[in-house]
Amino acid sequence: MFRDMNGQVARGRAFIPVIQGRTLGGSTVINSAIVWRVPDDVLAEWAALGLGDALPATELHRHWDAIEKDLDVASTPPEAWGGFNRLMHEAALKLGVRGEPTRRYAKDCGGTARCLTGCPSGAKRSMLTTYLPDAEAKGALIVTGAEARRVVLKDGRAVAVEGRLAGREGRFVAAARRAVVVAASAIQTPQLLARSGVVSAHLGEHFMGHPGTPISGLFDGPGSLWRGATQGYDVTHRRRDGRVKIETIGLPPEVVFARLPGAGARWKARMAEAARTAVFAVQTRAWAEGSVREGAFGANIHYDLTKRDMMQIRRGLRFAAELLFAAGAREVWPGVHGLPERLLPGQEARLEYGPDDPACYSWILSHLFGTARMAAHRGHGVVGTDFAVHGVSNLVVADSSVFPTNLGVNPQHAIMAVARLCAERLAERRNGGA
Amino acid sequence: MNARERAVIDALLPPGGPEGLPGAFEAGFEAFEEGFRRDAPFTMRLGWRAALFVAAWISPLLIRRLPPLDNLAEEEQTEALEALGKSRFYLVRQSSLLLKAVTSFGYGSTPAVRRVVGY
Repeated sequence: MFRDMNGQVARGRAFIPVIQGRTLGGSTVINSAIVWRVPDDVLAEWAALGLGDALPATELHRHWDAIEKDLDVASTPPEAWGGFNRLMHEAALKLGVRGEPTRRYAKDCGGTARCLTGCPSGAKRSMLTTYLPDAEAKGALIVTGAEARRVVLKDGRAVAVEGRLAGREGRFVAAARRAVVVAASAIQTPQLLARSGVVSAHLGEHFMGHPGTPISGLFDGPGSLWRGATQGYDVTHRRRDGRVKIETIGLPPEVVFARLPGAGARWKARMAEAARTAVFAVQTRAWAEGSVREGAFGANIHYDLTKRDMMQIRRGLRFAAELLFAAGAREVWPGVHGLPERLLPGQEARLEYGPDDPACYSWILSHLFGTARMAAHRGHGVVGTDFAVHGVSNLVVADSSVFPTNLGVNPQHAIMAVARLCAERLAERRNGGA
Repeated sequence: MNARERAVIDALLPPGGPEGLPGAFEAGFEAFEEGFRRDAPFTMRLGWRAALFVAAWISPLLIRRLPPLDNLAEEEQTEALEALGKSRFYLVRQSSLLLKAVTSFGYGSTPAVRRVVGY
């Protein structure tokens, strides 16, 4: 269900796994169903870039209202918190910092901590169980295992999509009467557009995301890591000034074990303790911008964190450790090369003054933006304010590659609202509107 | 897996121990590994082979012993594999991470292991 079995990597001073779903329903099937409207401060940045009319806040909120109603959005209820979400809640109360249960598309969440491998209880309202069946019922044809290789352009107009059928011999050509809508993600969209002959100095550039690094705390008492909504609680206290968000994360043993230090008997001893840990993820709204190109073995992604990003992350790690200790952790396991394997209460500051080199940390990169960014003028971006690729008619992009800035919050809700806005504009155009 | 590669995995997750966790091969790792070599993307398979090679031939050097790993005493094998994860060379540390990640995926998803850790 994951692209390249999670082996897709961004290269810079560190190798950072870039997580993407690759299944019918996309990343909505394997993410934690978290709902965040784009914060007002980020919308203000978009408006300052001249996109206030193209991505108007009032319109986006109208779409968010509709999506939240369709997908039964609700705050993660305490009965689905399990142990680790409750620990973060208690820590936030104790430290007096802002934290809240995440709002999610998973109304009847059973707290199985298995969001990242699908949802065994079927509570998650991913696209696989909601809008895709709706679209099919209204006549949409869904073809799985079909890779779009090229959009055929003729006289500056998109007229068809060519591709191949994975696992089977055969190619397909789909003629486009009204428009070709590309929504392949910030990694695949720029590659598809480049293969199709779209030329822009910004195509594949401005690649942004939310690099995250985990920190674990070991607690006394019964184990709590295996039960609870995967990412059921977050602390947003330093979202604006510190550009970090701290999230809980419940993971299955096979993922937790890989990060534990040691080998042989010592590794096994840590595995036996794993259930008594809580993992908090530090996710930063990074300043870094990278690039995406097509490579011989998949996407060639270059991405390097800046010094400011590293400072944010180090401060975020310290903050996360403070939360873990406030929740009662006996020790924390930073997993940072150059720091001790275990830190005790009172040693949190060592994280803030830890190594500056991204290669000393373990990362994942998710929430990807910007590689076909929107701009009113073709000299500043790939798509225009009508979502159409500059200089090509009938070719529109409706995914997170059009986002002009990094969000700092989980983007699924933003992507869906922007896609709806784009669809609405296409429909208006078809019906002879503005 | 050849005998040398098996020895690496055996040193990484040996049988026995007070926690009741099985060794890698007791938990059925070999079948997982066969599937991995068959189904994983090319770059992942290449990385896995490289990680096994580094563990077998480079890790002993980090503790000033002559390779291969399976010529070392059991305690030294563990020490050598731990040294991989602490190396000052990033690529060596990454090879340790990949080695442990793939092994964990095969090991941690088995019912025998999950039962012991309460999953």
